[in-house]
Order: sequence, then C-alpha cells, then structure tokens
Amino acid sequence: MSAPAAHHYTTTGLDSRKIAIWAFIGSECMLFVSLISTYLIYKGRSVVGPYPHEEWVSPTGEHFKAILNIPVTSASTFVLLMSSLFMVLALAAVQNKDVPKRTTGERILGSSKLWLFATAVAGTTFLGFQAFEFTSFVHEGLSIRTNLFGSSFFTLTGFHGAHVTAGVIWLLTLLAIDYRRGLGPNDALIVDIAALYWHFVDVVWIAIFTLVYLIK
Amino acid sequence: MKGKARLRQLAPLGIAIALLTLAACADSYPNTTFDPHSELGRAIDSIWDRLLILGTIVFVLVEAALLYVVFRYRRRPNDTSTPPQTHGNAVLEIIWTIIPAVILLFIAVPTVRTIFKTQAKAVAGALEIQVIGHQWWWEFRYPEYNIVTANEIYIPTGRTVNFKMTSQDVIHSFWIPQLAGKRDVIANRTNYIWFTPDTTLGPSVWNGFCTEYCGASHAKMRFRVFTVKPDQFASWVAGQQRPAAFGAQQGAPPPMLMPFPGARNDRAAPAPPSNPAVTAPVGAATASLASAGPGYTFPQNQPEFDYAKPHTPVPAGLKFTPGLTGNAARGQQVYSSAACIGCHTITGNPMSMGATAPNLTHIGSRATLGAGTFPNTPAYLALWIKNARAMKPGVLMPTLGKGEYDPQLKQKVTTGGLDDQQIADIVAYLTSLK
Amino acid sequence: MATSAAPAHLAPKSAVGYDEHSGIWSWIATVDHKRIGLLYLFTALGFFLVGGLEAVIIRAQLQGPNGTIVSAEMYNQLFTMHGTTMIFLAVMPLSAAFFNFLIPLQIGARDVAFPRLNAFSYWVYLFGGLFITLPIFFKVAPNGGWFGYTPLTTPSFSPQVNIDFWVVGLQILGVSSLAAAFNFITTIINLRAPGMTLMRMPMFTWMSFVVQFMLVLAFPVITIALVFLLFDRFFGTQFYEIAAGADPLLWQHLFWIFGHPEVYILILPAFGLVSEIIPANSRKPLFGYPVMVYSGILIALLGFGVWAHHMFAVGMGPIADSVFALATMLIGIPTGVKIFNWIGTMAQGQVRFTTAMLFAIGLVALFTIGGISGVMHSSPPADLQQTDTYFIVAHFHYVLFGGSIMGIFGGIYHYFPKMTGRLMNERLGKIHFWINFIGMNLTFFPMHFSGMLGMPRRIYTYDAGQGWDTFNLISSIGAYMLVVSTAIFAYNFLRSRRNGEIAGSNPWNAGTLEWTIPSPVPEYNFAELPKVTSRYPLWEGNETDAESARINSQEGKTPADLGIVLPYSTIKPMIVAFSMVVMFTGLLISKAVLFIGAAVMVVALYSWLLAPLEPEHH
Repeated sequence: MSAPAAHHYTTTGLDSRKIAIWAFIGSECMLFVSLISTYLIYKGRSVVGPYPHEEWVSPTGEHFKAILNIPVTSASTFVLLMSSLFMVLALAAVQNKDVPKRTTGERILGSSKLWLFATAVAGTTFLGFQAFEFTSFVHEGLSIRTNLFGSSFFTLTGFHGAHVTAGVIWLLTLLAIDYRRGLGPNDALIVDIAALYWHFVDVVWIAIFTLVYLIK
Repeated sequence: MKGKARLRQLAPLGIAIALLTLAACADSYPNTTFDPHSELGRAIDSIWDRLLILGTIVFVLVEAALLYVVFRYRRRPNDTSTPPQTHGNAVLEIIWTIIPAVILLFIAVPTVRTIFKTQAKAVAGALEIQVIGHQWWWEFRYPEYNIVTANEIYIPTGRTVNFKMTSQDVIHSFWIPQLAGKRDVIANRTNYIWFTPDTTLGPSVWNGFCTEYCGASHAKMRFRVFTVKPDQFASWVAGQQRPAAFGAQQGAPPPMLMPFPGARNDRAAPAPPSNPAVTAPVGAATASLASAGPGYTFPQNQPEFDYAKPHTPVPAGLKFTPGLTGNAARGQQVYSSAACIGCHTITGNPMSMGATAPNLTHIGSRATLGAGTFPNTPAYLALWIKNARAMKPGVLMPTLGKGEYDPQLKQKVTTGGLDDQQIADIVAYLTSLK
Repeated sequence: MATSAAPAHLAPKSAVGYDEHSGIWSWIATVDHKRIGLLYLFTALGFFLVGGLEAVIIRAQLQGPNGTIVSAEMYNQLFTMHGTTMIFLAVMPLSAAFFNFLIPLQIGARDVAFPRLNAFSYWVYLFGGLFITLPIFFKVAPNGGWFGYTPLTTPSFSPQVNIDFWVVGLQILGVSSLAAAFNFITTIINLRAPGMTLMRMPMFTWMSFVVQFMLVLAFPVITIALVFLLFDRFFGTQFYEIAAGADPLLWQHLFWIFGHPEVYILILPAFGLVSEIIPANSRKPLFGYPVMVYSGILIALLGFGVWAHHMFAVGMGPIADSVFALATMLIGIPTGVKIFNWIGTMAQGQVRFTTAMLFAIGLVALFTIGGISGVMHSSPPADLQQTDTYFIVAHFHYVLFGGSIMGIFGGIYHYFPKMTGRLMNERLGKIHFWINFIGMNLTFFPMHFSGMLGMPRRIYTYDAGQGWDTFNLISSIGAYMLVVSTAIFAYNFLRSRRNGEIAGSNPWNAGTLEWTIPSPVPEYNFAELPKVTSRYPLWEGNETDAESARINSQEGKTPADLGIVLPYSTIKPMIVAFSMVVMFTGLLISKAVLFIGAAVMVVALYSWLLAPLEPEHH
C-alpha cells in the first residue's frame, strides 16, 4: 500500500502500516490456531486410511507405510528457515543501501536484489517440496476427500502453502520495484512489513511441522 | 388537559392489552415447564424459582433506581445552572460490583450442585430407552423388551427411565417440557438424560418436541409420552412384543437386528454392546406373550388430554373418495407388493423389513401419524398414504396416490400409484395392527 | 446530501476528472470516512428494513396456530435470513457507520489510517450483502439458520444451492469486517490528536476499539469454520460428513468461539453510543470512566471464554458445563457495573428528554431485562428448559433490539445533526420512541412466557391448544406496531435531511471533541489538529482546548485555504471489491467466472496499491 506521506502526524510516531500488519498477524494467528486445532481434534477419527503415523492396509489388501515423510519435510523446513535468514539480509541491505560498500563481501551482503531473490527462491523451493509431497500422497491414496485426516491435513498445509505463495508474489513485487527504481532506506518500511509477514509464515510452519509431523 | 386527552386515546390499547392478558390467563398450559412431574424437572424448577426471585428483585431495584433518577434529576425549565461535575465514586462503584457478585454466588452454588447430581450415571435397573433421531420422526427402542416403536413412548411411573440418544442424520433435540430438560440427539455421539416420573402420576400423556432446528419439517417432529401405571405398562409391553396382529405367523418375534448406531467416536460413554437386544435381560412382560388380544393402550379422546391430539389442518385439495370400505386381507397383499416394504418393518410380515422408516408393527395402537402431526384415524391415514408429502413438507415417504401431485418431485404420480380402493385396503390392514 | 460546506468550484479536481463533491460519482469514488460512514448508514438501514420485513412475515405466520401464510421451506429461509441480515447486514454495519463517521472526529483525526481500505470494506459489505440477500426473491435463500449447524448444512442434507449463498456470502462479509477492523485499530492507536491519551478517549471510541480487537480475533475462527463447510460443499472434503466420522460439534465450537464474541461485537458499540448520549443529556461527565473502560475490556476478554454456554444441551459433561456456567455468570458483573454507572451519570445531573436520551434510557431499561434473562440461562440445568425455546428469542431480542438497536437509534438522533447539519424532528422522534418501546415490549416480553410454556424456536407452525395462541397473537401485534414506528422513523429521517432545523456545531451542548467542529463536518474535519487536555474539551478544557475549538469551529474554509492535502478519490477499491465478489460467485457458477473475477481483482489491487494515496505535499 502506498505511503501516507511521511509528514502526517501519528500518535506513536510509527507508520500506520506497521501497526496494521501486527493486527493482521494477530488475526492470522487465530486462523492457524483454528486450522491446527481442527487437525489435532480430527487426528485418529478417520474411519478409513491412510493415516499419518500408522501403517495401514488398503481395501484391496495392499500394505502402506505411515504416510508422512519426515526426512523430506525436514529438508523443506530447513529451506524455509533459511529463507527467513535471507529475508533478514534483504531488509538489512535495503536499510543500509546508502552505506558505501568497499569489499566484494560487503557488496554481496548489500545487494537487496540478491537477497530478495534468494528469499523468493527459497519460498518457491518450499512450495516445490509441498507440491511433491501432495502428489506423492495422492499416489498413495490420500486426497483431500479421502478421510478426515486428508481433509484437515491438506487444508491446513494448503492454507500455509497459499500464504507462502502470497509471500513469494509479494517478494517478487518488491524485487520488481527494486529493479525499476531501486529500494533505499526510505523504502525500508515496506520491506520490513513484508519481512514481518514472511517471518510469521515461517513461524507458523515450525508450529505445523512440530504438531503435525513430529508429534505422533 | 392535554395529557388526559392522550391517556384517553391510549385507553383502547390498554383495554386490549388487559383483555389479551386475561385471555392468556384463561388458557391452559399443557407444555409448561413450571409444573414438573419428575425429580429432574423439580431440580431444574427449583433453580428456576431462585433465578426468578433474584431476577425479579434485581429487575425491580434497577428499573426503580433508573426511573427515580430520571425523574428526580430531570432538567427543570429555565434552569441554566451546571450540575455538580462528579466523575465517579470509588466506594459506590465497589459496592455495585460486589452486589452482583454475591447474587451470582447464590446462583452458582446450586447450579454446580445440580449439574453434577443430574448428570451422574443413571441408577442400575433404570429402564433404557434408545432414542434415534431421524428427519423428522423419532425411533424409540426398548432393548430390555425387544420393542421398537415410533413417535410414542410408554413409561411406567416411579421407575427411572434412561434415554440413550443418537441421530441417524442431522442434530435433533429431545424435549418433554413437563418431565425434563432437553438433550441434543447427535450423530456419532451418544447422549443421555434420565428422570423418574412421579409415582403419584395418574395415566397421563405429555407432548414432546424436537427443539434443534433440523430442516424443513422441524416444526412437525413431535412425539407423545404416556406415563402409565406399572401394570398398564407391562400389559402394553406384552402387546407390543407380539408380532403384527393380522395374518401373523405364530411364535416369538425375532430379536432386533439393528445395533444402536453411532457411538463410534464417543469417548465419554462406554461402548454399547454390539447387540443390546440379545444381551439385555428379557423382562417379566415376555411371560404374557401367549395371552391373546392387544395389550394396554392409552385411551384416546379423553377431553383432559385434548392438547395431545393434533389439530393440523389437511391441505386444501387433498381429498379421499367417501364411503370406501377397505379389506384388510387385500390390504396386506397390496402393502406387501408396494413400495411400503422397502422402508417399513412390520414384524410378522416377512416381506416388510425396511429399516429407514417408522416400524409399523403396532401402528394400529398409536395415537398419531407423521410424528404427532395428525390423529391416527383411518381417514387421516388414508390421506397420509395418498400424499404424505403434501401433508408434511419434505418427508421421505413418497406420494403414492395415483394422479396426486408430488410437491418434491414437482410432478404427478402416474405409473405405480395406488388408487383410493387400494389405499383403503392398506388402511384397513394397518389399523388392524393393534 | 451536502456533507461539505465547500463550494464545488473551489474543490480540487481529482486525477480521474469527475466532480468530487456531488453526484453519484462523488459517492462511488469517495474515500472520505464521513461519506463512507453515511454509505454504511443508508445501506444498513436498507438491510434493516429487509430484515424487519422478514420478521413481520414470520410474526404474521405465527400470529395464530397452524398458520399458512408461508410454506415451511419459505419460513425456514425467512428466519435464517432474518437472523443473518440483522446481525451481519444491519446491526454490525450500523455500528460500522458510527465507527466510520465518529472515530476520527472523536480522536481528532483527518481520516482513518487507510482511507482506500475503508472504501474497500464498504463496497465488499454492499456487494456481499446483496449476494446473500437477493436469493430470497428467487426462493433459494439460505435455510440452515444463521448458526448454520452441521451436519444439516452439509451437502448430504442440504444439497441445494441455498446454503452455498450463505457460506460464500458470510465469507465475503468477513473480509469486509476484518479489513475495517485492521483499519480502526490502527486509526485509534496511531491517529489520536496530540494530548488525546487512551484514557481521554470518548467512550464510544473506547468501546469501538475493544470491538475491533474482538473482530480481529473472532472472525478468523468463523472464516476457518466456513472454509471447511465451503470445501465440503464444493470440493468434497469430509470435515462435517458424519459418515466419515466427523464430529458434529466441531462446527458448533468453532462457530460459537466466533459467535459469542460476536454478541459483544453487536452490543458494545451501542454501549459506547449510550455512553456519549447520557452524559451529553445529563450535562455531567460519564460516571466512573475508568471502570467503564475496564468493564468493556473485561466483557471482551470473558466473551472469548464462554462460547460453550450455547451448547449446554449437547452433552459436554458436568465439568465443562460448570466451567462455562461460572464464566458466563462472571460476565454479569462488568455488565451490571455499566448499567449502574449510566444511572450514576444521570444522578444529580440535569436529565434532558431528547429523543436520543429516551432511546438511551430505553437501552438501560431493556438491556437490564436481557441481562437478567441472560443470567437465567447461564445456569445449565435451567438452560435445559430454556434453550431453543422462545425464551431465548425473548432474551436476545432484549439484548439486540432493546440493546443494540435502541442504542443505534439513539445514536442516529444524536449524531444526525453532525452528519447533515440538521436536526431530526424531535416530536416525530418521540412518537417513534414510544411506539417502538411499547411495540418492542409487546413483541418480545410474551415470548418469555411462550418459551417457558414449551414453545420451541424455529418452528414454522404450531398446533392449537398448546397454550401459546394468545402470547403469539400479542407478539404479532407488537411486531405490527414496530412496523408503524419504523415507518415514522424512515419518514422523519428522510424528511429531516432536507427540511430539518439547522443544528449548529453543538446542538446538544455536549462536551466531546466532535462537537467542536462545524455541522456538517468539513471534509478535512479539523482545520488544525486539536490539542487535547481533558475528556470533555468543551466542558472541562483549559485555554488550549478552547483555542483548538475556536480554530476548528470556523466554517467555510476549504482544504486549499488551509493547505490541507486530502486523499484522491478513487474507484479502485470498489473495483477490487466487486471483482472479489464476482470471483466468489464463480464458485457457484463456473470456473471461468471465478478466474475472470480473480484476474480483475489482482490487476485492480496492484493498480490501487501502486497509485499514490494523495498529492505530493509541497
């Protein structure tokens, strides 16, 4: 959202958008709390398989392992965590745009384009992992329509994936602005807000990874 | 003067209100919650009394204070002074925080006590009645006696009845205002409510209602509860345990084959036995199985129980040929070869094993039709068979009368419809099933 | 209606090139919080009439036993839409009208924090409201109750399109409420004038502030509950399918975690309005201001912990029943404190019986009844007799009609001069009040009896001889009186806009900040941001307040005179809102519509976000 001009008086001295994004994140917390609670309430209530952590036998007599693939998801979790680090670097680069860079290392660290791009790539990689996971689940007989586990699992992780997707689009938009006119310290706020959102989405994933994947 | 004129204008309104209030007082209240006839009803009512007394006191005091302040401190004409600009008074505010808290304490203590008392496990030896909600009728089973009935319950006075409930479809709620509070009837869950009808009760009938909105005919999902003396109850049980009275094979009826549904995910209640009918002890009433004739049924058309007799008007345009006489034997044949048997069970008629609609084994002994919507007389029964969907919105029971308009399919019944003579025969057959 | 005193030829032309000050475009493209507030007011009053009409048909059907005015199917649509309309399309947006119009004026701001987002909220509300309302004219309106209990609303038991409108429509309206809530939270935190500390904020702004937090925390929960239902209905998921082992209570928990805070979302703004009206008409500051603030916050906090008292009959077990009963009873304490403090405000004051004040006193009197009956079903054993009967209908109409609607009517009479520069006719207003007051009690008081005498809710007909006939007849007569009173109000409202007495800046001699500026309010609100030193600058303020008031009371200044930069008018928020509703409609019609709506929405959203809010400052 484009800036209310900086000369406007505010009570706190903060930009209004910064306050709004915190209110938004508060609201999003309730959204994910509802989704995760539903998943947990419905865990173990499915009347047919597949199940998340137990082996199961399909009606045709095939044996299946527990469906959640923790090593693969650990990898995607790591990628998403790294993206948060890139996001921090991107924000720092924007804030310090005007600081002269002397070494190659400083130039690399100071490249907001690089780090915004890296964050978006990491986010996209995470989405790729998720697409892979969803496809393999469907092959193993678990779709969003199969049972309560399928419905609540795909909806929860899908909602998170949609948030990551929105974040990637947001990052790419910032990247485009960076290419068109360059992002400088005056734009730090809009990058900061995107970063807050991105970190939030990341934190939510850690909760999901723990509660859905790790805890049996 | 002006005020008096205005008062005079308001007088007719006042008189009308007074008359209506009088009219309300003259009515009788067959479903009142203020006159309970079980220990559960009285436990609730005693809390209600306390709430009413405290509530009335609070109401009177607050409204009196409001009126007093409003009139005492009304602005006088030509008064231009500024009133004292007080911002609050800590003592006063603490007082009027504590007073409601104390009042609430007087409510909270008996509330919690009653919750735990009334939601304890029912006593051993209680009569279990399984309640299964359907859109829009009630299935009642007495596993102890191997009886299945619909929309009507007989219970003996003085014996605790434990209702065990679940639903086959949407959520319903089971309510007999004069005997107990409500309990929701929910698929995939088992709920209980128990109470003991007063020993002092004479044979009486009570209206029951579905109180959770459950779709098109929620308003017409009623039922009847007959509280009867233990010996009358035993006689009724004996009658109900017999197979269909007309053209039935001899011998004891087969046990109920349907297990109590749901409860799969019910963590609160212990898993029910897979076939309660088989495991439950067979009561003393079974002994009288051999005796002939129908068992006790609650006598109809008693003026003091008129409230239990439905007055629903028949839709305009639904007519039945006058003067037809039905033949029960023919009716049994028509019934057994028509769509009826796909949904209804008549124990003793081996063709009729459907399980999705009310059990008709003793339909002739019931007081009402369509879950308390119409009196169970041959005339209403004929119209019901002819076009149930016109008589009760949304029902599964199809429109069967030849040439009748089916409001759900939005077309007339052509092939396979029954003519009035066939319907009269079925009516003769069904009404013979006492 | 002229909200701006500035002559049109002096106004800056917007970039798009239409006149910003009159004509329909000036309303469609407005981002001015006052105009948006008025749009909310008109629209919500329109929906209020629709919801009222639905109620009258319901009362006509129930006037006597075995009524045949409407069919069962139509009745079910009517009561579903009456509840849905009154809650989501009438009372909430009427509150939003006051949030929009009043909050910036009460805190000394030129607009809300995000003016275009504000316009977006309104348009989403309008289009979403039409989306959910229009089906009833084609007899396919939602028919699952405003509470939409599963499994009745799942595709297994309601395969028709009716519930689709409800699920999708509420989802759309949720977007509107959430966007507005973020906006107002930010506005109140960040745009208070110098010296307007939190504990100097007018009580309406305080209660609104609390409500915004409740919206932000409660709406996501219903959003998710609705997403599950929407997925069940459109994509074949199993969340509420009993055959798949679903727990029918999942919906009830999620719904009431939202639904109970929603009750306070409906009532707290009215409490806020009354807390403005009573001091102004008693010529005394609000009694116990801090306690009023804290009790509002406490009501909100407790409001999130009592949802299961709507579920005492579902068999939660004695422990859960007890816990929720006690929590519910606790809410009675802060609510009682509010009632006493209002009475305390009037005591020793000079109570002036303006129409607004009559409605405010009416609220105190009637809400007390609703509060008492509320305590009556906080006790689960007692509630087992009361729940799902007309006793409950009586209770929440005393809360929502006797509370919210009375407060909102009072607010309209009180703030009409600030909105239009003219007073509503007081004589007609008092007639409106008395017919409304008597009609309201006549309609709803007998329902206490019909309920306790065994009459279930949501029944399209009842049999004769049940002891309910007379009470229902009285209720219906009361409802017809409410029609009369509402017609008088509508006439007064429409007529006073043009012919009412000129009001002046402070017709009620009130003390808060919004009464320091001209009526109608100039588009920039405050010529100079006020400096605030007290809760009632006009009553208790020092020279600083007086100086601010003097500057801000000047009429006839244009933004250009004062060097004030105002946001551009724009229709982009409306286009985003419209295409979003098209996108949702696509769910019901075809994927093509869905994708077209989504594409237009994204393009318009980018266009909005990348366009500057206002001219560069020189």
